[in-house]
Amino acid sequence: MAIKLPGMYGHEVGKQEGYRVVELFIGPQHPASGHMRMILYLDGDIVVKVDPDIGYVHRTVEKLSETREYVRVISLIERMTIIDACNVTLPYVEAVERLLDVEPPPRAKYLRTILCEINRIASHLYGLGLGGIFLNHSTMYMWAFGDREVFLHLANMLTGARLTHTYSVFGGVRRDLPQGFKDEFAKARRYMLKRLKEYDKIFYNNPVIRGRLENVGILKREHAISLGATGPNLRASGVYYDARLTGYAAYPDLDFRPVIGKHGDALERIWVRLREIEVSLDLIERALKELPEGPIMNERFTKGIPPKVRHWFEKGFIKLPGGYVRLKTKAGEVITRAEMGHGEITYYLVSNGDIKPYRLRVVTPSARNVILFTVLPIGHTLMDFPAIYGSLDYFPPEADR
Amino acid sequence: MGEEKSSRPRINLIKAHIDAISAALRRMTKPPMTLMFPDYEEAWPEGYRGFILYDYDTCIGCSLCAQICPARAIKMYRVPGDKRIRPGYNVGRCIFCGLCVDICPVDALSYSYVHDEVYSEVNPMNMDPIDWALWSKRIKEKEKSAKPKLKPVIDEDIGLRYEVTKNVEGEE
Repeated sequence: MAIKLPGMYGHEVGKQEGYRVVELFIGPQHPASGHMRMILYLDGDIVVKVDPDIGYVHRTVEKLSETREYVRVISLIERMTIIDACNVTLPYVEAVERLLDVEPPPRAKYLRTILCEINRIASHLYGLGLGGIFLNHSTMYMWAFGDREVFLHLANMLTGARLTHTYSVFGGVRRDLPQGFKDEFAKARRYMLKRLKEYDKIFYNNPVIRGRLENVGILKREHAISLGATGPNLRASGVYYDARLTGYAAYPDLDFRPVIGKHGDALERIWVRLREIEVSLDLIERALKELPEGPIMNERFTKGIPPKVRHWFEKGFIKLPGGYVRLKTKAGEVITRAEMGHGEITYYLVSNGDIKPYRLRVVTPSARNVILFTVLPIGHTLMDFPAIYGSLDYFPPEADR
Repeated sequence: MGEEKSSRPRINLIKAHIDAISAALRRMTKPPMTLMFPDYEEAWPEGYRGFILYDYDTCIGCSLCAQICPARAIKMYRVPGDKRIRPGYNVGRCIFCGLCVDICPVDALSYSYVHDEVYSEVNPMNMDPIDWALWSKRIKEKEKSAKPKLKPVIDEDIGLRYEVTKNVEGEE
């Protein structure tokens, strides 16, 4: 017997304890499946097994990066997660900087931190909005995407692009802080803090949302650790871990404290994201206050610039030297990590002293979180499945890469 | 998993419902933060990375832009009657990263504020150096005679507010 629903296809696969087990295919064209397919095995209305079928947006990023010069890889890897472009490229840039023995100036480190946190807020708002629409809460979807526009505007002011910023490059950043950014951010911060209180009212404390999310998809602390969950999903289970604590960019100077949840259910994961937006706003404010003066690019790359184009430096832009394309690193291996909006990203870069990476291994947070799909919905009803998906903030292009 | 119940403090159902509805109603009284796109366009901030414009006379033909282009949108061409090789531009491949502008040693390349053009065919998107230089002049004129532009400003009350720029005031 075949069951046909919009974007879904199901058929009976056998009997289990007297009940008929139905195999239900959700996606990849279903509006709430993302770029992936979920194969659900249902006993009545209860999920007995989930098989996430990923790979629909696999773009061979790792292999392609072996064929490009170091600087050209930056724009390639930010296409894994365009909503979080600074966070996803920063560890790669730091890995190459370590191989080049180049240290970015302190001002560049602070500017990177500022853009990373703007990206994190935008990424969390994106996740919250999609989490809302998975529960048919269109107001949250519209609000979160509208408020995300505020932070895209800030990123646009700073970098000149709304999404794929290509902002951090080896040795520093590409733009200085524009005039009026601090005032615009102060307004955005006050607005967002006000909005978060409204989010609590309309989403987090809304009885309908509580009914859908509370005690759904509980991830216990020991399970979160043994399954290798990462990011807000890990912290919602009460694990004190955040890659920002390992101290990259300007985080060691900013006295950063991660948000730790307790219960580990879907509602707690939403709560962690809401509170992380507050923490990120505080981090940006502190970074803007303590922003050191000085250059935004390492002197090694600025001393060879012809005097004819040096007027760009006064305007807060940079010029790259001609040798920047074919930078030769020393041979070696580097591992770097950073905290993205979705979780921890790890880069393993192997260089054999050439102008291109010998191997670039990327472990993205969504690739680590996809295992939660096979564990969390078991024993819940089919209705709870989108709630669990929405709370995980899973981003398929990042997992497939 | 799923048997353990969390010990989260319970909420007052009636108060929470009223709070949620009143939060939505309060927002309804405020103006929307929508940009009415076909009638108005957004005024992009200074340094916005749109299409790349090319100045044929300033270019020295060093080919650095073609080397750094991550999408291979810029390629070097031989122009008849010119000793130097010159860059050509494929608009369809450009990802607006702006690295070519950053590496150009003589400022022959620059950003424009335009990032949308409609083509009915694929071939005109791939331009040789002379086409690119002529096209750049056309885009510059398009920038000037563009539709009314609205500047986004962050507002503490409604998020983003689109302010009328002088360009629009002059026309109205």
